[in-house]
Amino acid sequence: MQSSHSSSLPLKTSLIIVGNGMATGRLLDEILSRTPDKFNITVVGKEPFGSYNRIMLSAVLAGDTTVEGIIQKTPQWYKDNNIEFISDTLVTDIDRENQIITLCANNAENEKTQLTYDELIFATGSRSAKIPAKNQNIRGIFNFRDIKDTEKIQSFAQSAKNNNHIETDVYEEKRAVVVGGGLLGLEAAYGLAISGVNVTLIHRNKWLLNRQLDRVAGTMLQKIMAEKNIKFVLGCEVARFDNLTNASGEKILCGVELTNGTYLETSMAVIATGITPNKELGNNAQLEVNRAIVVNDYMLTSDPHISAVGECCEHRNATFGLVDPIWVQCKTLAERLCFDNEHAFKNSPVPTKLKVSGVQLFSAGVVESSDDTQSFVVTDENASVYRKIIVKDDVIVGVVLFGDVSSGMAYFDMMQSNQKVIHAMPELLLGHEFMPEDNNEKSEAA
Amino acid sequence: MNTDIIFTDKTNAPSSVEQKTTCPYCGVGCGVTATVENNTIVSVKGDVEHPSNLGRLCVKGSSLSETVSTEGRVLAPRVHGKEVSWDEATSKVAEHFSKTIKEHGPDSVAFYLSGQLLTEDYYVANKLMKGFIGSGNVDTNSRLCMASASTAHKRAFGEDVVPGCYEDFDHADVIFMVGSNAAYAHPIIYQRIVKAKENNPNLKVVVLDPRETATTKDADLHIQLKPGTDGYYYNGLLSFLENNDLINQTYVADHCLGFEDALKTAQAQVATVEAAAMACDVSPEDLLASYELFGRNSKVITVFSQGINQSSSGVDKGNAILNCHLATGKIGYEGAGPFSITGQPNAMGGREVGGLASQIAAHLHFEDPAEIDLVKRFWNAPNMAQKQGLKAVDMFNAIDSGKIKAVWIMATNPVVSMPDADFVKQALEKCPMVVVSECYENADTLACADVVLPATTWGEKQGSVTNSQRTISIQVPMLKAPGSAKNDWDIISTVARKMGFDEAFNYQHPHEIFIEHAQLSGFENISIEESVNRSPDDTRIHRAFDISGLVDLSFEEYHQFTPIQWPINVATPNGVKRLFSQGGFATKTGKANLIPILAKLPKIAPTEHQVILNTGRARDQWHTMTRTGRVPKLMTHLSEPYIEIHPTDAERFKLADKQLAQVNNRGASLFGRVTVSEKQRIGEVFVPIHWNDSFSASARVSALVNPITDDLCGQPEFKHSPVTLAPFNALWSGYLVSVDSKAMTTAYWTKSTIASGVKYQLADQTAIPDNQEFIQSMYPDINDWVVLKDDKSETLRVAGFLDNVLVCFFVASTDLSQQYSTQYIESQFGKIHKKGNRFKLLAALDSDRSFDVGAIVCSCFQVGEKTIKQAIESGECKSAEDLGRKLKCGTNCGSCIPELKSMF
Repeated sequence: MQSSHSSSLPLKTSLIIVGNGMATGRLLDEILSRTPDKFNITVVGKEPFGSYNRIMLSAVLAGDTTVEGIIQKTPQWYKDNNIEFISDTLVTDIDRENQIITLCANNAENEKTQLTYDELIFATGSRSAKIPAKNQNIRGIFNFRDIKDTEKIQSFAQSAKNNNHIETDVYEEKRAVVVGGGLLGLEAAYGLAISGVNVTLIHRNKWLLNRQLDRVAGTMLQKIMAEKNIKFVLGCEVARFDNLTNASGEKILCGVELTNGTYLETSMAVIATGITPNKELGNNAQLEVNRAIVVNDYMLTSDPHISAVGECCEHRNATFGLVDPIWVQCKTLAERLCFDNEHAFKNSPVPTKLKVSGVQLFSAGVVESSDDTQSFVVTDENASVYRKIIVKDDVIVGVVLFGDVSSGMAYFDMMQSNQKVIHAMPELLLGHEFMPEDNNEKSEAA
Repeated sequence: MNTDIIFTDKTNAPSSVEQKTTCPYCGVGCGVTATVENNTIVSVKGDVEHPSNLGRLCVKGSSLSETVSTEGRVLAPRVHGKEVSWDEATSKVAEHFSKTIKEHGPDSVAFYLSGQLLTEDYYVANKLMKGFIGSGNVDTNSRLCMASASTAHKRAFGEDVVPGCYEDFDHADVIFMVGSNAAYAHPIIYQRIVKAKENNPNLKVVVLDPRETATTKDADLHIQLKPGTDGYYYNGLLSFLENNDLINQTYVADHCLGFEDALKTAQAQVATVEAAAMACDVSPEDLLASYELFGRNSKVITVFSQGINQSSSGVDKGNAILNCHLATGKIGYEGAGPFSITGQPNAMGGREVGGLASQIAAHLHFEDPAEIDLVKRFWNAPNMAQKQGLKAVDMFNAIDSGKIKAVWIMATNPVVSMPDADFVKQALEKCPMVVVSECYENADTLACADVVLPATTWGEKQGSVTNSQRTISIQVPMLKAPGSAKNDWDIISTVARKMGFDEAFNYQHPHEIFIEHAQLSGFENISIEESVNRSPDDTRIHRAFDISGLVDLSFEEYHQFTPIQWPINVATPNGVKRLFSQGGFATKTGKANLIPILAKLPKIAPTEHQVILNTGRARDQWHTMTRTGRVPKLMTHLSEPYIEIHPTDAERFKLADKQLAQVNNRGASLFGRVTVSEKQRIGEVFVPIHWNDSFSASARVSALVNPITDDLCGQPEFKHSPVTLAPFNALWSGYLVSVDSKAMTTAYWTKSTIASGVKYQLADQTAIPDNQEFIQSMYPDINDWVVLKDDKSETLRVAGFLDNVLVCFFVASTDLSQQYSTQYIESQFGKIHKKGNRFKLLAALDSDRSFDVGAIVCSCFQVGEKTIKQAIESGECKSAEDLGRKLKCGTNCGSCIPELKSMF
């Protein structure tokens, strides 16, 4: 393995990015588009793949696309752009004083390599959050986080599909539980259900997507997901995973016991209750770390040569799970690295969308009205359409759209720009095309 | 029956047939050519050969084909709400009337008729009551519009005669329009005047009206006089004419009586222009200018209408006008004369047959026993009435007091149209026998009826009408009557026969009745020269009304009747354009009478907390809307009752423009939308006459009108009722568009017919309901709803679908300033809206707003205010004519042209 010191262009700054997720992919694009030749870039990734679109994992699970289809940067791409791509490898140690990192390949635990850097960037992402249930260390419990998770779940689902296709007298139905009624959990449940798995989704709150939807929309969503053969147990958690032991002494999942006392037989459980930032390298380097690696407005950590972007970083007490602000972070960081420009990153609310075929959903800002807000709601029960705009002091503070998400981004922009809207209500709720072009139009007519 | 043969011949014709007939709306009496296919009138156009309109039609006339439908028609006779056979119904009426007459005498029964009836219907009803029952108790809704003019004519000319003709408008130098908003009420006459003005730029038009109206827009001079002061104006004019040596001394000497007395009275009351100006509350300069125009021109016409007639001194006002024309001899020649224009298509015909309680028949009266005897002999009448009957207001008083115990109402809606209409309703509810012959189920009076008789209407029935210029025209049957509806003459004749008067009412066809009517007009009728010189024992009596020239009219000629102006007799077989050209008035002396007039103000003056309620017509509506209320395009110009008020009064009574308000009087309230406008004088409000219980929650303006009448003719004072005003205080307003009518429970609602069903404009004094159930409960069949609301109860919108078709759309908002355009949502009715983004319908807007053309200005082509404004703002259109070329607005009936002009 070559080190950057042996490069033929010693004048170039050495830039190492740890992590090869979506943030890295985006950051590379941002850097190359600005200064294609300024850096000697090395990317270290723990997965064997190039950068891929993690958001599309649920589409892979649902069979709408393939692993190949979501790879955004192939090994060839790195070559073509003179980027050294070290896959399947972990960073085990960081020497900030000498600006050296130590690497260890996944399949060769004793072979360690060292690289020096001028600029080090953490883009280590996050992992699935843990749940408090008992007996989790058994086979059959999966996260839904990366391609590997996806492939495991998929192969389980595939076997379910194959089973179901064989018309035998002994019909063994594959059962799975998904824990977590957020976006990821719903997408996982959906992916399993369309593969023919008998899925039950367990969610702590009274309705699904409770952070993004109100009760009405959450209930409508449940109705639609139920039509896609997903069962729901709401308002409780998994208390304990149950196992049997197979011939080779392996503990294998066979059921879950819920906090309400219900017992569900299952051979697979997918945990999708949220994410935990991968902040360990920050700890290792003794950087300032809170819930994640703390960065300033320019994505710089407490070390002047180490930056962080994406789900592993924490900016002004916020951590990140959706792509939109992360794209902005990549831009901010690229500006600083390439041009020394300091364009402060500003965290903005992000609208939510769910990637389940046939389900249209959009949510931004607050979900529930309060005494000082006014919410406008349109409901088409039979068409499963529900739209709500919450207005406070003449400005949109929350949007929940279900069944028809048209104009969602327009509302979002209005919300962001504090546009006055009350004069356009309630028509605006039905589409931003009904916003009077001239804002005074209505008051004039009145 | 012969008529049936005609129907069969026409309706079985394979291709379309063009049929000439006469419009049933106003007294202009326009000729109409209708195209009939398969028992349907597919289109109408103006009859270019008809002397009244020469091919033009107003928007109401143009929409006639849309009013003819079997929907909402009374289809079968009913006794106490139960459908019965014709035999049973007519027997019931005959027996009850006979019994009542036997027990309580002839004056215990009455007929209340209508200027909408045809002459033949009228003739038969009048003959039955006055000649065979033996009472004078026949009156008509003409009492409400023409009694004053009729009496004024009688007093001045000896007979109820309009001397001039429409052609005079083409030749006049000055046209006075007094108490007439002809632009709305008589559009074809008005446009003839506008046209005359184009052809003769020197023609001056002077309008006397307390209001600024569409008619005043094109006027050279608008005398915006204080309400009810017309008599002072004309007394002032007579004084002015004398003071300026403008009296035609020769004419007065040769053809008039009473000039000196009339002059003396006028001078005693209003000696000078200044005095007149003060009395009328107008500038002396304007007043003088108008007097000069009258006095110093020879070809002067005075058109007068309801502003004169509907008054407690309407007869006097009429005579004050006639005095001035007689004193200057401005009568009986081309381009000159007083011209009373009639409201209804056959008010004149009704007066000709004697359809008023004060007349016998054929322009003969009760005052002279010889006249009573003449008619008795002609009819061979067994029970000839000997005295006048009760006039409309008195008739309903007598019904209330129980003096009249059985009344038969034909083709009119007195519960809406009579003054003190709530009293009329109560009186009818008490009356032991109320028979109502009616075509439309939506006539409010039906609710009071014991016996309902389904009558035919325009397009189905045959008979003659006489318009404002004495032209007799025919209405012809083109369609089969719906259900078992019968012609009025036939219904009356049947009842008469069942009452035992077989021979006198054995009519088979209106042709026979018309011939009899013509015979009566000529019966012992002598020329004015003979009359003046007749011996005392000569029983013959002169009447100008003489159509004896038509007694030999064949059945075929009657059917193909050529319009003709009476008198028609041996001397003038082709009719007469102008009467009294050589004097020869229909008085005993042959001279016209000038009547001394002591002008009076309206009987009840407003207190300081009141304003004066004035009433009149809206442009596209007719009477109580039973007919025009069925035509969507006629509802677009104005779909709500309104209250027009001066800004000063609006402020005083805390009324806001376009908000609802109530007008109160006599314990009744009228709800309407406020139109703040400087067109009104301070202290006066205007409300249209048309709306009623079938179309609005509380909009019968007649309920607020005091039952004050002219002592001489019994015509009510519709134009001057002191009333109070108050805001409606709505908590929300909105609308409901629905495929069918619903019973509304909101405090305020107004219904209008639209192409896709009905539209209700709504307001209520309680909060917007928390949920949509109150709407949904009206539609038990619907379970597919889209609902929009907010958590502060400020807005609620509900759309209902049946098999994905939009059938109900409701909007409510606490923002009362909202002006709703429903054009888009109306266009979406009847269409399939697949689930998906149908919720967008609740915006009630198309996204590019092309449907929102604004308030409709041109009803004929449905051109809206916004479209017109755009065309003007783009610089493309600089005149009403340009607009017509670009958008077609104003190019059919032309009644919107004053509005188009005012937009520049």
